[in-house]
Amino acid sequence: MAQRATAGRGPASVNPETTAQVVACVRDARAAGTPLRIVGAGGWLDAGAPCTAGEHLRLWGINGIVEYEPGDLTLTAQGGTRLIDIERATAEHGQWLTLDPVGYPYGTLGATVATGSYGPLASAFGTPRNQVLGCEVVTGIGDVVRAGGRVVKNVAGFDVTRLMVGAWGTLGVITEVTVRLRARPEVDQTVVVALGGTDGVERAHRWLRTTEFTPLAAELVSPALAERLGFATLNADLLLLRLGGNEALVRAARHAAAALGDLMVPDDGIWTALTSLGMTHSHKASLRLSGAPAGIAALWAATRRAIEPAGGLAHSTLARGVVRCLLPMDDDASVARLRGILSALPKATRIPERLPAELWAPAAADPVLASLRQGVRRAFDPDLLLNPGIMGTA
Amino acid sequence: MPPRAPDPDDDGLAERLRQIVGDRRVLVRPGELRAYESDGLPGYQLRPSIAVFPGTRDETIAVVRLLAERGVPFVPRGAGTGLSGGALAEGVVLLGLHRLTRIITIDAENQRAVVEPGVVNATLTRLASAHGLHYAPDPSSQTACTIGGNVAENAGGPHCLKYGVTLDHIVALTVLLPNGAIVTLGNDDGEQEGYDLLGAFIGSEGCFGIALDVTVRLVRDPQAVRTLLADFPSVMAAASAVSAIIATGIVPAALEMMDNATIQAVEASIYAAGYPTDAAAILLIELDGAAAGIDDDVARVARLCDDAGARGVRTAADAAERARLWQGRKKAFGAMGRISPHLVVQDAVVPRTRLPAVLAEIQAIGERHHVNVCNVFHAGDGNLHPNIGYDSSDPVQAQRVHDAMSEIMAACIAAGGTITGEHGVGLDKLPYMDALFTAPTLHAMCALRDVFDPDHRANPGKVVPVHSCREWHSVRPPVAGRRP
Repeated sequence: MAQRATAGRGPASVNPETTAQVVACVRDARAAGTPLRIVGAGGWLDAGAPCTAGEHLRLWGINGIVEYEPGDLTLTAQGGTRLIDIERATAEHGQWLTLDPVGYPYGTLGATVATGSYGPLASAFGTPRNQVLGCEVVTGIGDVVRAGGRVVKNVAGFDVTRLMVGAWGTLGVITEVTVRLRARPEVDQTVVVALGGTDGVERAHRWLRTTEFTPLAAELVSPALAERLGFATLNADLLLLRLGGNEALVRAARHAAAALGDLMVPDDGIWTALTSLGMTHSHKASLRLSGAPAGIAALWAATRRAIEPAGGLAHSTLARGVVRCLLPMDDDASVARLRGILSALPKATRIPERLPAELWAPAAADPVLASLRQGVRRAFDPDLLLNPGIMGTA
Repeated sequence: MPPRAPDPDDDGLAERLRQIVGDRRVLVRPGELRAYESDGLPGYQLRPSIAVFPGTRDETIAVVRLLAERGVPFVPRGAGTGLSGGALAEGVVLLGLHRLTRIITIDAENQRAVVEPGVVNATLTRLASAHGLHYAPDPSSQTACTIGGNVAENAGGPHCLKYGVTLDHIVALTVLLPNGAIVTLGNDDGEQEGYDLLGAFIGSEGCFGIALDVTVRLVRDPQAVRTLLADFPSVMAAASAVSAIIATGIVPAALEMMDNATIQAVEASIYAAGYPTDAAAILLIELDGAAAGIDDDVARVARLCDDAGARGVRTAADAAERARLWQGRKKAFGAMGRISPHLVVQDAVVPRTRLPAVLAEIQAIGERHHVNVCNVFHAGDGNLHPNIGYDSSDPVQAQRVHDAMSEIMAACIAAGGTITGEHGVGLDKLPYMDALFTAPTLHAMCALRDVFDPDHRANPGKVVPVHSCREWHSVRPPVAGRRP
């Protein structure tokens, strides 16, 4: 039976070590009418999503690589497996999981999939949605559903896997995930360009749209954020370009990128510094704004105008038309101040990442969409046992 | 109570449909319906009771709402090129969508297009090419199949190895649910908030509703393309070259294998591409991207083929030769079709390291059942297409083909694979679903279908075996306020 800890302060928690124990936990919770908060490494606990569950179901014991055959370029791991452990295991074979989600660097595969988290590499490789091949989940009725498969192409049956990605665990506790891997490029090099002038962002966007090169990542960084990455004196938007491929290709790509300005070579840790930024200082509130790619320069400018007076930081995955905002949240007045900032943001689809619960409220959906969402929730978790409140479905 | 099959003469349904779409667009006589008794899956002739072909979005909405009002089941159909029997309609209304061919916008700036579901895949690419763009998923049937059908099947194609399948190229859909309600899944901004219902809809094989319009992502044409033809003395040698290429980190745009039987069929047809007819297998390998460095990759791939035992590797000299090499590949099924009256184009996926073993097993299965299996497939994805030509009017042959295919499916499942990579389950793969998925997994799929179509009127009886849904309903009380 799963170990249960109720002593001390904080919520009671159960720590299952097998899928069967997760099933037992969910069934027990169902019988007792106790909603569960699903916890991986705990990195998202302070994300602020309004979750009303009392007991924590911790997945750190559901941890380990289940199957990894390098020649297949796929890997199956348990939900609680840390990304860093997957990185180590695959690096030995010159491979990688091309997900670099924003957040704590010790995050788990299950939480990355559950939250649909991604980072700059999404520019070339997409998000978890495009990289997850299958998963095992325990639904809110305690059924073990094994969706998708372990091969890279699969259309057998309805796509339950896609539903689990980004569902924040509200449709099932993710106990196992199969992902697609890639061979690491022969050369993997990052360069930084300061985008001077008033049309710098527009030029960078146009360059990306027309260049024959596909960078692994192309991330725009606001001056205030650049400062925190060690580019203090430039006072300009920065473009971080991660170039990959064979030597001739990367050389030519560098040459082409030089049209945007002088190329600088940053420290090795710059991508980790960028993706983990919100976690290690006062800017703990974050959300993404998504707009059509062609409007990215305008979205960027309007977002900077809205957040910078309040000390906000921004970066953008240009190819996806997404701007991520990091906002200060450090004292009791934060909520009121954040409310003000949010109201000044430009019109775009808003995806909350970490916000105080009272600001998390999703946009009102059209009634048909809302009923489909509720139907899906009820189909997998009829008693609203799993992370109730998150996804606005309480 | 199961949905009622319509009788065209009984309740004036055909007449009401004619009022919506016009007299010529409603077929009820057996002779007229004959063309709609089959799709791309041979061996079936199932007659719809009525076939109706709306010509506009509004007509489509009116038709679906009428069917909803009357509780009548229907089967959506695009071009009818599907290979799993997904568009077969027995005794129900067949709703043909191939007349909805409007290109609503091509937005080069955002690299997107909005099209109606009846737009033909290759037409979209042709129109986008004026902007240096194309629609990446390229099923072999792309000159006939429709975008709506591609969405329903989550269609693939050779170039999905590098560029991803239909799922990766759809930004948003306007969906007409089986009950007549309209909803937008996904959005033009790109990221969606809430559950990924767009992802759930793509590949739902017409069971969740109809896409009234489809917003697709367009991909820029690559600056450089190199197409290689490598000639191998054995299938195993070709398969080991595939593994070696995949392992390098070079991602070819496409990596296709054809065995000798396929080569012979192609070279004897009007699609003759100049393949070496004495090769045991060939690989068609396409690399694309920036011109810089591409020839280094070409040289490396050629060397890997040599190392694996290739008898020769040549690169297409120009666009014309490249087009010819690809035509042979894409029309291989047509070429095989010349040889026998019917052709089963099978579809399964195995982990890439298992390709050599599974190919050997498929050959042994073919020999055991005295059928000729030809292989032409997406080797880079491990997506097999073992094909068997036969005469479906000969019951002995048909049984042998059926038995061989069942064993091939079992072998692919045993190797850790799946029963379909891009053709869908339809009717053909239903018997294998129980072997691939556990009962609770099938129940979850039934529950998901219930959300979109609680009455199971859209493409009834497809994708998930009816018995698993019955089990599901027998253990779950109906949700309050919903028809049982």
